[in-house]
Amino acid sequence: MGIPNYTAPTTLKEALLLKKKTGAAARIIVGGTDLILKMRDKVFSPTVLIDLRSLSLDTISLTADKLCLGACVTQSQLLASADIARMYPALTEACREFAGPPIRNRGTLGGNIVNASPAADLVPPLLAYDASVVLATADSERELPLTGFFTGPGQTLMRADEILTEIRLPLMPSTTAATFIKLGQRRSMAISLVNLATRLTLDEHGAVSAARIVLGSVAATPIRAHAAESILTGKPLTDGLLEQAAREARMAADPISDVRASHSYRLKMTEVLVRRALLATWGELRGSAPDG
Amino acid sequence: MAEMNIEFTVNGKLEQVTAEPDKTLLYVLRQDLGLTGTKDGCSSGDCGACVVMLDGKPVNSCMVLGPQAAGCSILTIEGLAQNGELHPLQRSFGETWAFQCGFCTPGMLISCYALLELNDNPTREEILTAIAGNFCRCTGYQGVVKAVDLAAAELRAANGGARND
Repeated sequence: MGIPNYTAPTTLKEALLLKKKTGAAARIIVGGTDLILKMRDKVFSPTVLIDLRSLSLDTISLTADKLCLGACVTQSQLLASADIARMYPALTEACREFAGPPIRNRGTLGGNIVNASPAADLVPPLLAYDASVVLATADSERELPLTGFFTGPGQTLMRADEILTEIRLPLMPSTTAATFIKLGQRRSMAISLVNLATRLTLDEHGAVSAARIVLGSVAATPIRAHAAESILTGKPLTDGLLEQAAREARMAADPISDVRASHSYRLKMTEVLVRRALLATWGELRGSAPDG
Repeated sequence: MAEMNIEFTVNGKLEQVTAEPDKTLLYVLRQDLGLTGTKDGCSSGDCGACVVMLDGKPVNSCMVLGPQAAGCSILTIEGLAQNGELHPLQRSFGETWAFQCGFCTPGMLISCYALLELNDNPTREEILTAIAGNFCRCTGYQGVVKAVDLAAAELRAANGGARND
C-alpha cells in the first residue's frame, strides 16, 4: 500500500468527516506506541493517518456524577491526577506499572482501549469502575458501557466511521475499595501474564452491594468473572466467601499458552491473584470503616 | 504520499526537513539531521536507546512519526552540553563508570536529565523508576544510580541547596 497520508485536523468535526470518508482505510494515531509497531509489521497498512493531537482531547474533568477522561489523556497524565488517585486508585496503580516513563508520556488511555489487547493494563480497572466509552461520528454520538465493548483480540464494537473521544467513570460510593494486580516477568516494560482488578462496594449494613472481578490476559478479551462476582453480591464478606469467589473466577479464565507463560500457570495464578486482590480490597474497606 | 515538510526546534535550533510521513522521529534525527547520538536499539519502544526530550518529556523517538513532532521542541544527547561544557550528568556518568559499551547511554542520560529537571534530590527508587524504560545489557544500573546522585548533589550545590526536602 505504500506510505500513508498523515494529517492532524484542528477540529474534531474535521477529523470525524475525514474518518467517515476514509473508514477502515484510516487509522487514528496519537501516542503511536502500538500503531507504529503494527504498521512496521504490516498488521495494519492504513492509507491515511489521522492524528488527534491538536483536538484538546487530553483533559480530565470532574462533573457532579462522573469523571470524564479525554481519549488522548496519556498514562503519565493519569498517573499524575490527584482525582484519579483519590477516587479510582486501581487505575493509578495500573498506570504506575504501565511500561516505563517514555512510553507513558506518549501512550494514551483511548489507545489502550481501542487497541483491544487482551492484556491491556488499563482495561481491568476501567471495567471494575463501570467505565463507559463515548464514540462519535460526524453525525452523532453514542455512549457504550465498556463491559461488552470488546469482541475479540483487536476487535471492538466501534464502527469504522467512529472515533473514541471520551471515557467516563461514574463516581463511586465512599464505601468502595479496589485493587489492581499485575503479574509480569519484571516490573517494567513487561506484557502482563495475568492482570486483574477487583472492586467491592458495601451497603449500609456492610453487605456487598457491588462486586467486580475483572481478569486480563486470560481470555480473548479482558473479562468480568460474573459468576464469581455474584458469589459475593448481597452478602457480608468472609474469608471463606473470598476463597470461593477466587476459585470461581478461575473457571471464567481460558488463557492461551505462549512464550510468556503456560495455560495452566495462568489459570493457577488467576485464582491466587484474585484471592490476593479481594483480600487487599476487603482489608482496605475494613481499615477505612468506622466500626472496623 | 509525497514527502512532508516538518519544522521543529532541535537542541534550540529551528530545523526544517522533508521526510516521508511514516519515517520515525528517530530516523529523521539520525538521517536527515545527522544527529546519530540517538540510537536505534529495538525499534519497538522497549529498550530506551532512542529516548529524547519532546516538549519537555522523555519519549521513545522510535515511537513518534516525524510529522507528529512538527512544531515541537526536541532535545537530543547532542544538546545536553552547553557552551562546550558537559552537563553534570555527562561528567558523573564518566566518573562512576555508568556505562560500558555506551549504546544505551544517550537514552539513559536523557531519562536521567528529565528526572533531574523535575527533582534535583531523587531517591534511589525515583532514579530506578526514571530509568525503568532504559535497558543496559552490559554493566547494569548501579553506576547510573551513583552518577545521578553525584550530578544531583552538584546541581543542588549550584542551585544553592536542596529544594526537595
